Parts: sequence; structure tokens; C-alpha cells
Amino acid sequence: MQLSDREQDGVIVLEPKGKIMGGPDASLLHDKLHEILESEKKKVVIDLSGVDWMNSTGLGILISSYTTLKNSGGQLKLANVTEKIQSLLVITKLEGVFPAFDTVDDAIASF
Amino acid sequence: MDKPKISGNKITVPSDHEFLTDVDVFLEGLLRGFGTDESVIADIAISVSELVNNAITHGRKGTGNGEVEVEIQRKDKKVQISVTDHGTGFNPEDVDDPLAEENLLKEVGRGIFIVRSLMDDIKIESSDQGTTITITKSIG
Repeated sequence: MQLSDREQDGVIVLEPKGKIMGGPDASLLHDKLHEILESEKKKVVIDLSGVDWMNSTGLGILISSYTTLKNSGGQLKLANVTEKIQSLLVITKLEGVFPAFDTVDDAIASF
Repeated sequence: MDKPKISGNKITVPSDHEFLTDVDVFLEGLLRGFGTDESVIADIAISVSELVNNAITHGRKGTGNGEVEVEIQRKDKKVQISVTDHGTGFNPEDVDDPLAEENLLKEVGRGIFIVRSLMDDIKIESSDQGTTITITKSIG
């Protein structure tokens, strides 16, 4: 997995690409999130358009990001959830947990 | 052993999560060679990554060689994949229900549940000498 980030209208947009399967992927996203929190940014969108698939480790990272931000008074939103990831969210009953939007712009506008 | 070893349709990797990608590249390459649909490849790759993640975690606890073996076999219109570790084993009955309200936001504990959801069949053989999990999926 590769990870890039940018800021748009005061919102941090994380753009993981590839497959999120565990190991180094998990620490990369986890470290980036904590870096964001230390910079006092509280609004985060994860753009999933470039993610081929993720497994339960990826879901765990999303949950960890969601709860960490929420406990710090922030919010996490998802954008461009692919069909494969959406089906995992449905199977695991997590689809109602994460606010999800069709585009990054829609997710940003929702804050 | 400090790097992956490939022999026919089998890959053996050290018990370290950094080798997950090696298993995935090997697996997806074989499945594409079988002419498998990309969506089915993704389902199988997700499932194998779950099993290898678990095998690496359990494999580190044992006194065995700490290696994880993944073997892929094509049987007619199905593919059968076994993932073996030499750890201390686990009882599948002890795994919490990930859909229970109190477990919904836990960061771990969904792996086997996802595999059961995506694959046609799963067989778990576990003892204090290690674990072999065999999954089967139709590839059309």
C-alpha cells in the first residue's frame, strides 16, 4: 500500500492506494493518523478510490481511525468506497458506522 | 529461513507480516493463470491474507520452525488453498461473534468470519502442533 495526503478546505484527505492487508500497511496509516492528530487537525476524509481491496486488518485500521478521531473531538468520513470494500462493510455490519460519500468533495462539504 | 521459498504451487514464508505481499503476488499470479475472474481473485486474496495473518501470529507462539506454508491446488472448476503454521493452535469455538453489538467496534476478530463469508468451504484442523486451514472456492 502507498499513502499520500493533502489538505483541502481545512480537511485532511488521506489517499491510500493498493491493497490494505496488514503488516507495514497498518503502521503506515496508524502513524499518519497520529501525526494528523498531533497537528490539531480534526477533520479527515479517507479516499478509498485507489484501494483494490482490504481485509479485516484494513477494517480494523478504519475503526481505530474512527474511534481515535471521535475521542479527540474529530470526525472521519469515507469517500469513493469501492464495491469490494462496501461488500465487506455490509458483511461485517460496519456500513452504518462510517459516514460514506460518493466523492471527496461531497465528504468535505458534509463537515 | 529468511526469505520466501517457492516450490511448484507452494510458497513457504518466514513468520513475519512483511512477507504477506510475497504470498499475495504468488497467489494472484497462479489464479490469473487459471483464468479466474478478477472479483473472485480479490475474494480469494482477501481470504488468504486473513489466514496468513493469523498463521504468522500463531506461528510465532510455537516451538516449531516458525514458517507458514501456503499451497494452491486446482481441482476441476475449484481452487483449494491450504495455509499451515506450526504454532500452538487455536479453538475456532473460542472466537467471539464479530457481529455482536459489543464486538462491532473491536479492531480485531473478523478474519475467520470474513473467510467463511467469502469462500464456499473452510476446514480447520488445529492442535498444539500447529494449524492447517483449507479453503475452497469455485472459479467457474
